[in-house]
Formats: sequence, structure tokens, C-alpha cells
Amino acid sequence: MPASNDDVRELIYRSCRCLDLQDFDGYIALCASEFRYRITLYSPELRKEMIWLNHDRDGLAALLAAVPRHLVRLGSLQRNVTAYTIDRDETNNSAEVLSAFSVFNIDNEGRPSVFAVGHYHDTVSLSDDQPLLVSRNARLASRDLGIGSHIPI
Amino acid sequence: MSSRSAQSWEKTPSLPEGHYVGGPVYNDEEIFTDERKHIFGEVWHFVCHESEVAEIFDFRTTERADIPLIVTRGEDGRIRTFINVCSHRGARVVMGTGGNARTHTCFYHHWTYDTQGSCVSMPRPAAYAGSGVCKENMGLREVKTEIKWGFVFVNLDDDCPPLDDFLDGALDIFDEVLPKAELEVFHYHRAEIDANWKAYQETIVDLYHEFMHVILRDTQMPAASMDDREMRTYANGHVTIAGLKADYDKYEGWAGRSDASCFPGLDPDDARFAPLFPAQTFITRGTVMRVDTVQPITAHKCLIESRGLGIKGESAEDRMMRIDHHNEYWGPFGRNVTEDAFAAEGCELSFGKGAALRGIIARDEGGKGQCDSGLRGFWTEWSRRMGRPFSHPNNN
Repeated sequence: MPASNDDVRELIYRSCRCLDLQDFDGYIALCASEFRYRITLYSPELRKEMIWLNHDRDGLAALLAAVPRHLVRLGSLQRNVTAYTIDRDETNNSAEVLSAFSVFNIDNEGRPSVFAVGHYHDTVSLSDDQPLLVSRNARLASRDLGIGSHIPI
Repeated sequence: MSSRSAQSWEKTPSLPEGHYVGGPVYNDEEIFTDERKHIFGEVWHFVCHESEVAEIFDFRTTERADIPLIVTRGEDGRIRTFINVCSHRGARVVMGTGGNARTHTCFYHHWTYDTQGSCVSMPRPAAYAGSGVCKENMGLREVKTEIKWGFVFVNLDDDCPPLDDFLDGALDIFDEVLPKAELEVFHYHRAEIDANWKAYQETIVDLYHEFMHVILRDTQMPAASMDDREMRTYANGHVTIAGLKADYDKYEGWAGRSDASCFPGLDPDDARFAPLFPAQTFITRGTVMRVDTVQPITAHKCLIESRGLGIKGESAEDRMMRIDHHNEYWGPFGRNVTEDAFAAEGCELSFGKGAALRGIIARDEGGKGQCDSGLRGFWTEWSRRMGRPFSHPNNN
């Protein structure tokens, strides 16, 4: 039985919750074997599309596994996400999902600041009860990320 | 071994002058003001690559030393730079970040300028009759502009020496690379961080901080002998670092680059740095190039601009490879630049309000290994331009 829209929404929210908690194994478990992750944006300075991160499932898993070895920004990133639209393709058992995200950095003293704003463009597999992320394009609207982040959006 | 008393902490170190940096260079407002005038107002600044204004009438806006600039390619193909301020009432003329326009019209009173900086029209000019205000006298203020291997530099000082005199050969470290390849910018980002501008630039020149970066501990430090490294200092405070190697597959999850399409004259494991004074850095790793600039915003905040460059006309596959290699190290989600910015902000936490009194730059490895000679070269030029010894910048 194909996954419902509620299942799809839960997948999107769960993926963000996993990143918030730095449960990277949990995040990767939500991704199909052919998963492709990208962070993209448009540069009005260059008048070009840019790619700021590009990984398949294994590459992203390796990147996330290495995070604890690195000197990372202080505090935590917290994602606030709303699934806007779910366009189902029943023939191919997939759905295109558009969600808005805001990512806040909470520093060690508990001060919040906006880290990034944009949209997820996700492709989700519906073929099983448990939907999976087939691709995620984290499309940034904001471009100044301060010192940046070792953890993707 | 013991902790230190206040007297020990505050005492002038028993190091030669020039082997430590006084804390006020990172937090003193008067010093900051002087830097804007004596350094940023007088040196050559990299502003963009010519590929960013590739077509006739293309333009980019940017700023240096808080002066807004328009870089544009004129109908004659020449790249010129102007202060982005209307001659009439001082409003910013071009509000966008880039585009293509034959003329630029100030939003306020519709004075219009062409790509050679001439004022070509002003509405109802008759009311200025006899005042000397006429379009012939009211062009934009042009800024000295020179191009080196496609890199566009500007100088706000009309009496400055030529660019090549300023560079003093420091970019020749890339002379097997840059003249042989037509480059193109594929990555640009800018980021404000909470740090004095010099604290970030020092991370480029300070090789001893390799220990901070996992990727450099894994891929760079073991890849070649410390004795193969060559750090040179130049007149005007520039530094070059050559002889660095990297085995990228030593970092878990990264592939080797032995078969990768490199820049001309480079091997895939090559790394070369040219940090130019005061805060502009050219770096190649075998497959990709990065150019950074740092600009002061306040004594406690700076703006980093970072570009990634590939080879114009290359295949989509090669371009994607270069983008990936760039991002692994240098993008906002990379493993290297993010940590450098962290380091600069970490120094700001202690220098910003005076808790840290000085930094030690006393490592001497004869220009090899992780020598501090590059840092000393940077600071020597800083002192020369500022008329202040960097070890005791307030002459105390």
C-alpha cells in the first residue's frame, strides 16, 4: 500500500529532527539507496546557479560520520519546517514535496540567530509503507551563512 | 611547570621584538581607523575575476574600504571601476549585485552614466546654467584598475604604484598555471563573521594551525616532508607557500584525485598559497582554485568573500568534479574554511575585550615546515604602513 501524504510529511519532519539531534544514522536510514543530496542556490553576483554540497547516500553518510572529529560551530542548529505541497505521481509511486525551512543556530548561551532560510525540494519514494527520500535539494534563499556548518541543512 | 601570576601574564615576553603581536591590534578603535586609511585606502585590492564581467556592459558591484564600487566592461571591452556614488546628491547609483546594462541611472533624480563613467544625461539641466554643473563635468569617480591573469585589482589611491610593483612577483608562484588556462568563477559566497579581519587572514598564513583541521592532519601533514615546504616573504607583506602536498583519500569518505583533470602545470596533490597583503589569498589545489578577500567592517567584525574557479569551457563532468573538490575543503559546508572562521571568532572572544594581551609568532623553521616567517612578514608590512610597531602598537 503506497505511503499516504501524512506518511510523507512525517518523513520530511523526521529527517529534520534527525539532523537537529545529530542522529546521522537515523537520517541516512530515511534515504533510499539512490539518494542524492544537494545544497543549491542562485548567485545574483555571478548570475549563475551554484552547488554548495553534492553527495550520494554513501558520500553523505561518510561526511556525517566524520562530523564528531571536526571543530564545529558552537551550539546547535534547529530546523523549523513546513511541508507546503505534495504532488503525487501514482504511476511511478513517487511524490515531489516542497517544504519551507528556517534553520536557527542556538549558541552555547542559548541565544538564537537565523542561520539559513530556503526550501527543500524532495523526491520521495511511495512504493512501500515506509516512504524514503530519493533526493533532497536544499535550496537556499539566504546566502550569508556566517562561519558555515559541517552539518548539512 | 606552573600556571602564571598576573605579573607574569602581563610582563613583556622575553622574545625578540617582532616575535609577538600586541593585543590592541585586534581591538583598538584608533588602530582600526588608521588601518582603513593607511592600509585599505592605499593598497591594490582584488575585486573580481574578469569572467564575472565577461560580456560588454556586464557589471558587478562590490566594496573596498567601505567604498561602494561598480566594476563594468565598457563597449570598448575594457574593464573599469567607478565609485558607486552619484555625482549629484551622493546616492548609490547601482543597487543590484550584477547584471548587464549600457547605462546606469541613479534612482533619485535620474542622472545617467555610461560604462566609461561619463554622465550622459540629467533631467532639465538648464537650471544649472552658469553654475558649472553640467553633464560634461559630472562623471563618476574612476578608480585605478589593473588586470593580472584575469584577476581584476583596484586601488583607491590615484597615486599608487603599478600593480606589478605592488605584487613584487608574489603571484609568480602560479606562473605555470594561470597564464595557461582561461579561468571562470563558479562559486561565490560572502559571510560576515565576528572577528577582526587580521585574525581571519592570519589563519591563511599560519601553517602551525594545521593541527586544528582534521583534513590537514589526515591528508596534508603526512603527505610530504616538512622540509619540502617553502615559505617566502616579499616586499609589501606578501607571502607564498609552496611544496605542500595532499593525499586526499586519507580522509575517510574522500576519493583519491590521481586521475582527476588538473589545472595546467599542477599535479593533483599540489597545493600552493599566495596570501597577498593585506587580506587577499590565492590558493590552488591541483584541481581547483580559491580566491578569498577579507575586509574590515568594525574592529570586531569582518566580511569574507570567497570564490572558486574552474577552467572555462571544460566538460560538465570536470566542472562538477571541481565544484565537489572545492566544496569538500572550502565551501560554507566544507571541512576547512568553516574551521578557520571558527578560529578567528575564537580569537575575537579573547582579544575583543582585551583578555588576551598578545599572540606569539616566534616559530623559526627557516621558512620550512610550520614556520612563522610568513606571519612576521605580514606584520612587518603592517607596522611599516601604520607607523606602529606591531608588538607594541600603542607604543607602550
